[in-house]
Amino acid sequence: MSVANAGTDEVLIDCQSLFKVFGDKSEAAMKAITERGLGKKDVLRDFSCVLGVSNASLKVRRGEIFCIMGLSGSGKSTLIRLLNKLITPSSGKVIVKGRDLSALSAVELRQMRAKNIGMVFQNVALLPHRTVLENAAFGLEVQGVAKTERNRTATEALEKVGLGDWLTRYPRELSGGMQQRVGLARALASDPEIILMDEPFSALDPLIRRQLQDEFRELTKSLGKSAVFITHDLDEAIRIGDRIAIMKDGAIIQTGTAEHIILNPADDYVAEFVAGISRLHLIKAHSVMVSLADYEKIRPGADLGTLIHTSPSADIDELITLMIRSDQDALAVRENDRLLGVVTPRSLLLGVKGESPNHPAHA
Amino acid sequence: MDMSAFTDAFDAWTDSALEWLSENGEFLFEYIRWLLEGLYDAILWLLEMPPFYVVVLITMLIGWRLVGLWFALIGGVALSLCFSMGLWSETMSTLALVLTATSFALVIGIPVGVAAGFFTRLDRFMEPALDLIQTLPPYIYLLPAIALLGYGPATALVATVIVAMPPVIRLTSLGIRMTPNEFLELGQASGMTPIQMFFKIRLPFALPSIMAGINQSLMMAFGMVVIAGIVGSGGLGETIYGSIRTLDIATSINAAIAIVVLTMILDRITQSAGRMRNGRKA
Repeated sequence: MSVANAGTDEVLIDCQSLFKVFGDKSEAAMKAITERGLGKKDVLRDFSCVLGVSNASLKVRRGEIFCIMGLSGSGKSTLIRLLNKLITPSSGKVIVKGRDLSALSAVELRQMRAKNIGMVFQNVALLPHRTVLENAAFGLEVQGVAKTERNRTATEALEKVGLGDWLTRYPRELSGGMQQRVGLARALASDPEIILMDEPFSALDPLIRRQLQDEFRELTKSLGKSAVFITHDLDEAIRIGDRIAIMKDGAIIQTGTAEHIILNPADDYVAEFVAGISRLHLIKAHSVMVSLADYEKIRPGADLGTLIHTSPSADIDELITLMIRSDQDALAVRENDRLLGVVTPRSLLLGVKGESPNHPAHA
Repeated sequence: MDMSAFTDAFDAWTDSALEWLSENGEFLFEYIRWLLEGLYDAILWLLEMPPFYVVVLITMLIGWRLVGLWFALIGGVALSLCFSMGLWSETMSTLALVLTATSFALVIGIPVGVAAGFFTRLDRFMEPALDLIQTLPPYIYLLPAIALLGYGPATALVATVIVAMPPVIRLTSLGIRMTPNEFLELGQASGMTPIQMFFKIRLPFALPSIMAGINQSLMMAFGMVVIAGIVGSGGLGETIYGSIRTLDIATSINAAIAIVVLTMILDRITQSAGRMRNGRKA
């Protein structure tokens, strides 16, 4: 799940210090925020306005799945609605594919939403009086695509999500998981580059949720789409996301890969959040290895050539297996015949605890 | 303070306003009369042209398709009863009056209701007006109507249109207003134009409420059309009014039965039509 497999570095969505203030006096409140740096509580007390999103900046690259994780009320649903301007920001810029959303005309914005940005909702929002096929073809219908063509495209999209046999059914005949698949097919049918997912799986039971998470990730990657995925579930964010942003009180407090966040939590709030997460598959050898020089200090004159080799992307689970199999107390981390570092039992145990031997606190 | 002087002045003002209207608005009222009576005559001609059993059979067919077999059978028997009581022509006149008045009420009421659904300010302005229309005793509307349009079906129709309009306005406005937010978001996120949003999202969701409004307006029209017998509307209302004056209890009960039959048939059919549109076959 490193950034390397997230495709190119082309930035599709670029949010620059977004703010959203809700309330009658939102303009005055926004002014006070920029001039005097008021916080969420001050804004509520002085202006009875709610600060929904506060100074949020993020970049989503092509081919990347970007998760925004936060508890309810953290502003994540507001933030995702700023990305296609369902909500207009009080301040800050949203640039999608190099175009500033606030500078688009109404027609251009509709074009952008119809062609480039798909959206899937928590409550699915399938039209009850339309069949599954008609629902999946909805976006194309809005764009004025001819009926035979949109039905063909929608059928393909439904087949991708495994609902090819349900075309003529009505939404109420489908289970929650299937309905959510129709929602995804509807978004995919318009072939957008970016898909916004607003807590799509949170109402589903755990087993179905897990299944849909895996399917979603696979589908998004195979189609080369980018996605912004909102969730309140850290496990889900880790399972799906290439990178994760953690939100609290409207602000993004940390952005990074799951491994990065677990090893370097930005504050106590994040640390507490990630405390219960199993490290076994998240932390990789490159994070738990010690440098060759440090190993030299512990074991002067040790012969590195006799150590079992592993790659920098091997996770802790694999490292433990290798360590148990090894008759020596270290593993060599190599990439392209270059020795990068050594995993020792101590560094491995630190990794299990979610700490890095290279972290300042444990250096 | 002498209030009676004030009320006298107000009454005088109302009278002269009506007088002015009837003198200067003659062209307008002639036009309204022509419009209302034109549609009324056309519908009545359609209903009275075929023999009574054809109308009964068509009603049964519609009832069977929309409601069910039992309803169709009972409705057919009940309608035939109206014929055998010798009230067929009156029953058809009443039906024509109700259909005409309701059509006009819908043609005005639905667009107004849609507008009120979109513009909260219009809705707030209309709310007391609708309250007033609905709380005043319905007889009130007969007087200005008779002053402006004279004795006859047109007067009955105008008064009926006024009484029948509020429910459909209210329920249309409510339906438009009640579009679930997630579907509005879906429409926006899909890049819909405002017109697409109206026809593909708002209207389908508002339809059950609008259909309920149509049904309610129809029922109001029935109530008023009978009252309007006083101003020479023709039909069952006038039959009842006449039999009250001559204390002919038997005829008045017969006419009342005919009205109940007609009301129930139209009520059930429009209710089912509303449900159908939102159901499986939509």
